[in-house]
Order: sequence, then C-alpha cells, then structure tokens
Amino acid sequence: MKTKKEIAAYTLEALKKAGADHAQCIISSGKVDEFNVDGGEFSLLRSLFNSSIAIKALKDGKKGVITANKLDKESIDNAVKQCIAAAESSVSDEAESIAPKIKNGDFVSGVLTPDKDKLFDRLQEYLSDLKKDYPKIILEQMISKYIHSESVFMNTNDVEYTYTYGNYDISTMFSAHEGEKSSSFNGYYAKFDSLDEKLMDIGMQRTLYAESEQQIDTKTVSGKFVGKVIITPACLIDMLLIALGNFVSDSTIIDGTSPWKSMLGKQVASEKLSIYTKPLDERVVCGERFTGEGFMSENMEIIKDGVLKSFMLSNYGSRKTGFPRALNSSHNLFVDPGTMSLNDLIKNVDRGIILNRFSGGQPSTNGDFSGVAKNSFLVENGEISYAISETMISGNLADMLKNIIGISSETVSDGITVLPYILFDGITISGK
Amino acid sequence: MGGKIVLEDKISKFKASLLKHTELRAQVNTRRNVTLLNGNLVSNLRSDESGVSARVYKGGVYGFASSAEYTDEQIKAVLAAAKENAEFMDTRIRKNKPALPSLGTGKKELLHNVRDVEQKVFIDFAKEIDAYISRKYPNLASRTISARSDSMEKLLVVSDGCDSHSIIPRCYIYIFLTANTNDGTTVELFKPLGGFGYFDELFTNPDALHDEIDKLYSDLMKKAEGVYCDAGYKDVVMHPNLAGILAHEAVGHTVEADLVLGGSVAAHNLGKQVASELVTMVDFAHTALGETVPLPVYVDDEGTPAEDAVLIKDGILTGYMNNRETAQHFGMKPQGNARAFLFSDEPLIRMRNTAILPGKDKLEDMIASIDDGYYLTETNNGQADTTGEFMFGVCMGYEIKNGKLGRAIRDTTISGVAFEMLKTVDMLSDDMVWLSSGFCGKKQPMPVGMGGPAVKCKVNIGGR
Repeated sequence: MKTKKEIAAYTLEALKKAGADHAQCIISSGKVDEFNVDGGEFSLLRSLFNSSIAIKALKDGKKGVITANKLDKESIDNAVKQCIAAAESSVSDEAESIAPKIKNGDFVSGVLTPDKDKLFDRLQEYLSDLKKDYPKIILEQMISKYIHSESVFMNTNDVEYTYTYGNYDISTMFSAHEGEKSSSFNGYYAKFDSLDEKLMDIGMQRTLYAESEQQIDTKTVSGKFVGKVIITPACLIDMLLIALGNFVSDSTIIDGTSPWKSMLGKQVASEKLSIYTKPLDERVVCGERFTGEGFMSENMEIIKDGVLKSFMLSNYGSRKTGFPRALNSSHNLFVDPGTMSLNDLIKNVDRGIILNRFSGGQPSTNGDFSGVAKNSFLVENGEISYAISETMISGNLADMLKNIIGISSETVSDGITVLPYILFDGITISGK
Repeated sequence: MGGKIVLEDKISKFKASLLKHTELRAQVNTRRNVTLLNGNLVSNLRSDESGVSARVYKGGVYGFASSAEYTDEQIKAVLAAAKENAEFMDTRIRKNKPALPSLGTGKKELLHNVRDVEQKVFIDFAKEIDAYISRKYPNLASRTISARSDSMEKLLVVSDGCDSHSIIPRCYIYIFLTANTNDGTTVELFKPLGGFGYFDELFTNPDALHDEIDKLYSDLMKKAEGVYCDAGYKDVVMHPNLAGILAHEAVGHTVEADLVLGGSVAAHNLGKQVASELVTMVDFAHTALGETVPLPVYVDDEGTPAEDAVLIKDGILTGYMNNRETAQHFGMKPQGNARAFLFSDEPLIRMRNTAILPGKDKLEDMIASIDDGYYLTETNNGQADTTGEFMFGVCMGYEIKNGKLGRAIRDTTISGVAFEMLKTVDMLSDDMVWLSSGFCGKKQPMPVGMGGPAVKCKVNIGGR
C-alpha cells in the first residue's frame, strides 16, 4: 500500500468485508511551512508533515464516521473496525447515502513548487513596509504559510476524485498605538498563489492599517438611535456567514426553525442583493473541487435580485427535507457590486456608522443580533466624523437584508471571497 | 472500541541527546461526537489524531517540526527538521538573544488513567436524554442532544526542564432547545453538563439529568415570553456562570504576556489599581481553594512546573501569564502557561483555570440592591480586545425592578472596558461556580476552565 489510491481502495474493500453496505473514504497528505511573527518580530518557523483519513460507512441505513491521521495498515484496520462498530450502534436513517457516480475527475490547482526563501523575503519586506507606511501599528501576530495538499476521494459507487493543490496564505492581528493609547485590534486573512507582488497590497490590508491609525483616539456615540450602517467587505463576510448559517443551512432547515424555511423562490432580501458561492471562480485560490460527500463542486446562486434561489443543504439535508442540495460546500461568498461608489454610500448616511468589525454574542436562529461596533467610524451628514468605541449595535439579520439602501461598485478580493461595501438601514446604535 | 490506549514512550531515550533548548512531545488527541437533531443521528464521529513534534530554540527564534508518524526514524527526522528551521531563522534574523534559563530536571508521572469509551455508550445515553425530552416536551420547535468528549494525552521530554506524562479527559452533554414564541419567532437556550473525566464515569444514569433539563425548559418558556433589553449603561448582577468568562475575556487575555508585547492595555497597568479592592483574580494551575480545578495542569509543554499565576490582588494588577521566553523578557518567573493543543502545535501562552475569588455577599442581597437593572444568568460566547473593551453574549437573564426579579430577557450582548468596569464591582457573592465546557480560541483552540462568584457591577447592554 503505497499510493493514496491504493490505500483508499484497500480501506473501502475492508469496510465492505466488515459488513458495510456503502462506504466512502478521503485520504490526504501534505506539507506546511509556516512563518510566525510575534510582537513585530520573527519568532518561529514551523514545518508539518500531515496525513489524514476520513471514512464513512453505512450499514442497514446506519452511519459511522472515523477520522484519523495514520495511514499504515494496522491503523486503517483499526479505523475500519471502529467505524463499523459506530455504525452498528447508530440510528437508521433513510436519508443517509453516498454519492452516485456522475463523472470522476483529477484536479490540480495553485502553486505546486513553493519558494520558501522568497516567501521569507516578501515577509521581511512586509514588516519593513509596515514600519515605514504605518509607523503606529504594532503587529501582534502574523502567520504566513505555504500549504501543499494531495487528496483522494473514493466511494463504493466507483466515484473517484483526486485533488493536488498548493497555496500561500497570510493572517495578521494588529492594533495602532500612541503612548498609552491604542486602537482596538483588527485582523485580516487572505490566500494567494503568487509571490510576484508585495504581500501588503493584497486585499484591503492598507485600508485597515490606515484606519487603525485613525482609531487611536475614539469617542462613544451619544445616546441611542436607529440609523444606517455601512458594512465593509472584511466585516460583511462574518455577518453573511452567520445569516446563511441561521437561515439556509442543514440544521435549521431540517428542524424547521429557519425563518426562511418556506421562502425558496420568494423575495427574502432587497432586490439589490445577489449572493453566490463560487469555488471555481478564477479569483478564488485553490477552491473546492469536490464536496466531502463526493459531488463535484459547481458555482451556485443563493440569492438573486433578492429572491432566495437555493438553500445551502448537504446531500443528507436535501434527502431529509426534499429540497435540492447545494452545488458546493464552500464559503467562497460573492456579492454582486452595485452602482454607487463607497463615497456616495457615505454621502447617503445622515447619521450612522461604518462597521469594520462586529464583536457580538452568537446571534439567534431568528436573526436577532447585538454586539460592539469595533474599528468603526461615526458618519454624520454624509461625512465621517470620528472613530468610535463603547458603541453597541443591534438588529435582525433577516430584516437588515431587506433594508439595503445601496451597494458599492468597488469590491475587495482576498482569494476566498469577492465582496462590496453595503449600506443597510434600520440598525439600533447605542452609546454609553 | 473500548480499552486502554496509553501512549508508548519512544521519546525519553532521546533526552540526553537533545540540544539546549529542545522540547520533544508525543501526543494523542481524541474526540467523540454523537449528535441527535430531533431524534436524527446527524453526527456519529470518532476522531483520533496523534504524532510527534520537536521545537528548538536558537538565539531568540524557534524552529518546529511535526510528523503524524511516531517511529524512532520520524522522531530523529522531526528533531533534525526543527533544528534546521531554527537555524534558517537564526541565520537570517540574528536576534542574538541569550539561552533560556534552565528549569532543572524532574518528571511528573501520569495521575489519571487513560481509557477509551465505546461509541455505543455515547449513543445510548444521548438517545435516552432525547427520548425524555421528546416525551415530556412535545411542543418544542426543536431539540438537539450532543454527547461529546475530548482528551489530550501528552508525553513530554525537555532538554532543560521537567518531563511529564499527562492526560486531560473531559466530556459534556450539550442540550439545545428551541421554542416558538407568540410573536411568530423562535427562542433557544442551551446547557452544557459535564466536566473532567470519562463519559462512563460522569454519565451513569440519564435520570440524574432530568432536573437540569426541566429547569432548562422552564427557563426557555420564560425567555419565549421575554422582552428585549433597554440598551444602555446599566447596573447588573452576573450569576456565577458569567464570572468565569468575565475573568477570562475581560482580564485574562489582556495579561497574556505575548499580548502584552503585542500592545495590550495591561502593558501600562502593572502595579496599578485596575479593579475594586474586592477583586482578586488567579489563573490556577491544578488546585484552588483546596480542591482540584476542572482542567488541572501540572507541567506545561515547555517543561515548566505549573503554579498559580496571581493576576489581580485586591484590585492591583500584579502579574502576567508567561512562557519561558516572555518570563525572561519581563523578569518574571514562568508559571506553566505554555500549552499546545495538538501534537503538531507549538506551545502558546494560554490560560488554565482562571477565576475571580468569592466575596462575602449573598446573591439575594445583591439583586435587592438594584432599582433598575438586569440579572444575567447564562452566556454563550465572548471576546477581548487590546484596549480592554470586552464583550460577551448573554442568552438568559431577567429584569431587576425595585430590587425584585421581573420579566425574562431575550438574547443580548454586554460590553465594557475591563479596567473601568472592574472598578464598579461593589458586591461579590460568597459562593463560586467552575465551568470548563468551552474552547478558548487563539491561534489554536484550547480547553480552559473558568470560574467565580456572582458579581454586581455596571456594563453596557445591547438591546432595542
């Protein structure tokens, strides 16, 4: 047993021999080289030699799932035994299945030969650019790595995929300082597959650094009012993922608690809003090529012109509820840009805030949310007044999506998502 | 499968040959998750991750390497790769920092047994709990029962520190209930029950959970008729269930020495009054007030014997939590806060069991002392900030009007600036509650314990 395909074939055969009616298996191996910067200085170089196996067996409609990270025969035999035992103890469910064979595929993406020295040089240049261009910033942490991964998916319906990819990424956490005063921390994450350009120029990092330097001196908003909020791309991803998790994902569609459970094909948001997941878009770095359930990934519409086009259901969730499954399981969210510039959005705000980060309690399934507006600015009479602190916002995510005044023509791409700025109305804003 | 799975010691024989300073660690993490959503078994997972890693310190930088394969050959390979990584960094950075002071030698042996529990035990127990809820409360909009366990078994050998063999097993049953409300929406509430130990030790009889489930349902019904908070700066009493997250989020993160170096507000406050004189806060290693804490740590992953870190004493900020390197930087003593999550993770400065110590007041007197405010009883998440401005989610609570509890409230979020808010603490109850169900998120997740008494103070509350 040397290749991953041979290991996968052996595992499926062993599962069948042990009594599985249907089974699937994903085998991966890879290498990671990761540079760490702490408190603005290089601190660590970390190399990981990874392997993993995830197997699922169905016996009499009952499921068992095992994940482990050893690929030797003894470990796999043990995993197979445990998987069958888990399935035998399980609860039968007709919605459980494995993917049918439609079309197999071998996929390759990204940069397969890393340049560790060049990545290090780019990171050193990044630290020097940061010091020069944003001298008030302390980089609490920066983690940047190269990931190489090779994986094989096989199931007992003869579905077979392979995916080999390599990419770089960067993750930062920072705040701006002057004497004893500091801004709130902020962070950024982006994926990339080329070292040809400065890492500082990826995504909206320069905007966030410049804004943090303006957020050292803050004031709280006085009183409480219902106002407008411009949500930036860096914050929009968090808000959209919470909304979609609460309204269109497996758990709340299966148990029927989603407020959108009967809204497929109906208007759920402003007609200005169109949302997609696009793992195959060229701006996505090493996107998903097949789902964990064994379906080849395709781009999909979730909301088009405000109409709910699809839930984000797994195949299990689909069989459980009768609604179609999602065409991919990625979080590569895309929102169509609008016609107004960011400046025009700001001009449309009589009193409100620009929300750069939301630090809040876990929003309810019904969409109610409340939390602190971090790294944010007050806008009055169409102009930015000052950076704010100790200011809370609250509202309802479902109501908010219906209440869109405008979407920016500018979008930001970070290798994972492509998102604009959106101006929402009807959010409660309260100061101390 | 059931049975014993103690990690085989293949690393001690390398001790004599380790460069100074080197940590060599073999580790197994297990995870079990059985989840029933309205009776459907949506998760039936067993996960085991294991391997070996090495970290080498050279001139102020670390090299680290890990491998899932745990053989003599791979141990030599990760030691060589970690050394090579340390040299790669050292030759390019040249920090020229001195070696870390030695911590001597010694070994802490395993204190708890290492076992595995069959999946059937989790499934059968979860099914019993699910059947009780579905039978007794058929009007619920949704119910989710999740039986989970995780464990970290570690073997550690350090060139110039304490070796150890340790295990931290914990397991929890999470009960999530959702109810329809009269205004056409839903409300939800959850409760984790469990703690340190193995599933079949902690959960022997499903009937023993009925009282907690009945209380959860009763709270949910009150919440279904609850009101939104009136947003603003309010007097509140936090139930002891919230004191731990207050200690962890509001103060704990700001006094992690790596975050201090990253610019946290604590950098300017050592030795200063940051809280009311009533407040004393400690990150306990393994024993607090004469009892073993929820997630005891005896030796950390840098080979430092663990001892308590006193963070606030009578309102004065007295210390930070350190690793060996930051302790040297600040001239403090390392106290065992360097902890790694997986075999493939490097140790980071983490909290262990962080608590505010109890005071002398009675909860009923604390509530009676408020004319217009809130009594907050359950939380679901939280976050800290460099500036000390923290927040946490509140998922259950009540209005206080004229010293008496009023209507229940809907989900909200509270926030404050830690070192300002702690100065408003004017009463602490004479009891305390420990919790240990969550994961703290930094670069890696980490199980942590947190605790404290009921706290009366002023905070910002979100609402409408």
